[in-house]
Amino acid sequence: MGINAVEFEVNEVTFNTILSMLVNGTAFGMVYALMAMGIILLVRAIGVLNFAQGDFFMLGAYIALGYLVDLELPLPIMIPVALLTYALIALIFMICVYWPLREASYPAAIVIATIGTSYVIKELVQIIWGSLPRPMPPLLSNPETGGAKLLTIGTAKLSWQMIITMLVGAAAIILVFILFEKLYAGRMMEAAAQDKYVAELLGIPTIITVAATYIISITLASIGGFLMAPMLTVNVTLGTLQLRAFAGVVIGGMGNIKGAIIGALFIGLLESFSSVWFGAYKDAVVFSVLLLFLVFRPQGLFGTKIKDKA
Amino acid sequence: MIKNKIKLSTLLTLAICLLIVLILPTKMSSYTMRVVNNALIFGIVSYGLSIMLGMGGQISFAGLTFMGGGAFAAANLCSGRWGFWLDPVLAIFVSAVLMAILALVIGMIILKLNGSFFTFATIALVQVTYTFFVNYKPLFGGAGGITNIAQMKIFGIEFGNNYFTWFYFLAIVVAIVAFFVERVRQTELGRSLAFIRDNDTAALTFGINVYRTKVIAFTISGFLGGLGGALYALQMRFVGADMFTYERSTLFIIMTMVGGVNSSIGVLVGSLIITVLPELLRNVPGIDRYLQLSYGLLVIVMMVFMPMGIAGMFNALKKNIKIKVASRKTSKNLNEVKEASK
Repeated sequence: MGINAVEFEVNEVTFNTILSMLVNGTAFGMVYALMAMGIILLVRAIGVLNFAQGDFFMLGAYIALGYLVDLELPLPIMIPVALLTYALIALIFMICVYWPLREASYPAAIVIATIGTSYVIKELVQIIWGSLPRPMPPLLSNPETGGAKLLTIGTAKLSWQMIITMLVGAAAIILVFILFEKLYAGRMMEAAAQDKYVAELLGIPTIITVAATYIISITLASIGGFLMAPMLTVNVTLGTLQLRAFAGVVIGGMGNIKGAIIGALFIGLLESFSSVWFGAYKDAVVFSVLLLFLVFRPQGLFGTKIKDKA
Repeated sequence: MIKNKIKLSTLLTLAICLLIVLILPTKMSSYTMRVVNNALIFGIVSYGLSIMLGMGGQISFAGLTFMGGGAFAAANLCSGRWGFWLDPVLAIFVSAVLMAILALVIGMIILKLNGSFFTFATIALVQVTYTFFVNYKPLFGGAGGITNIAQMKIFGIEFGNNYFTWFYFLAIVVAIVAFFVERVRQTELGRSLAFIRDNDTAALTFGINVYRTKVIAFTISGFLGGLGGALYALQMRFVGADMFTYERSTLFIIMTMVGGVNSSIGVLVGSLIITVLPELLRNVPGIDRYLQLSYGLLVIVMMVFMPMGIAGMFNALKKNIKIKVASRKTSKNLNEVKEASK
């Protein structure tokens, strides 16, 4: 899974391979970062570790596929419609899985409910779209060959889809930062995340901030799925990519958005390079690094102290 | 008085279980019997999870890792890949102990982590072991898995592909495991675990060694995982890596939760429901997907309404009835007192 789908033609490590590995790794890392950010936002705001994040990623890819291929909507219409759908799904998820459980006596209950959600999404997707993997056309295709449009730098060929993924991912990350650092709404969300009780005393409607957090979190993951879909075939196992986002979250330091983004990018690059040097064992490399981090530096790269809300 | 009551209900459950064990095989085909056997084996692994999750409140995905380890260990010992064949019973025992030791070592390292960090570590463990199961040919047979596993033999009884014999054997093993888990629940270990689940800081102040208790629980869950895995390998006579993915391990968590994470019978019921129901309804076209879907929905609904599972709901119901009966009694008494005072 993962970068396996992007084929390398490497026998020796040349400038070309290093460049393409860098671009691949950053693009995948960016998508992991989108997921990781969503995970962190939810953990900070309501203390819920969402095990369905990867499935929203997968659902995002399927919905994009549905609008673009099945309904044949043109791109300018399709993008806002898809974003609206993602937000709507986030709200449904919140109402069904967070709201009835917010005062549960058994703290693991809500986390296990997200595991149940992950199951529901997987099966629902297979009921709607069938269980066969489906290809998705790239956003920019080469009119002559019909394949993905390539950018040629020197002798290296890079797929435009990768570059778009990097740019859109970076843009989404910057937007979230602007929201939290510069805008009043973001500060309200931050306050509600840090101390719900005091925020309520100050007149901040915490229910709306929680809803907004859910929408942002799920939409980020779904956008990641939309961007990644042309590079991988759209299938149910896409959901497992969330494990890499988890790894990024831990490596960056739990509860720290910047750390999670850097951690996720690191995981993307690590995966990309180890797929060349370790072949089929790349997963073992990625997750061994995660284990090493957990054992020797559980606070992550940027965390100062261990804080565990979930 | 109370002691007698508990004994009665336990006896009743035991009698029902015995009855099921005696009647079930006469109604089953060989194929369904094998599915039921698998459910029993998964039940053993789920017991390991229930010790970690239900008693200790730690979400662990690692049960499947130990099951995989046990399965591959037994497969290696019983398939002659190394030039020798171990007695199957001995192999099962060796695999389970091996996994217990592995769980002890891993647990000592990763149980220093709390809550979700521990969960992440178990996920990483599942991913790492799965990668090795798929790719490392010398030990795990690569993508093809390990075939040609010797047939089970105990006290000179050859099991062959007779799944009915297997069923009786597994029923005994499961009964022993269930009894053991029930004992754990009632000893100091189980109570310490429940304390840690409810409030680990308070447990610490009461002088419970939280870390050691968790490590012991993890070791037990490793042992049960290894035992289940070894039995699985010997029954199927084939082990492939596909069994031991991350998705599968979420299924095991669902199995444990559906029946009731804190009840020995509940865990078994959960694994039976999730494993056997799809097979029973296999002939109804298209229902499989909806069934799987309903498991997910069921888990969410259960977390909302009865987080301790089906068995937990029964307990809560019993408690409610008791309270109602008791309050009726007291109100009766009150009325009598009132009337007497008039």
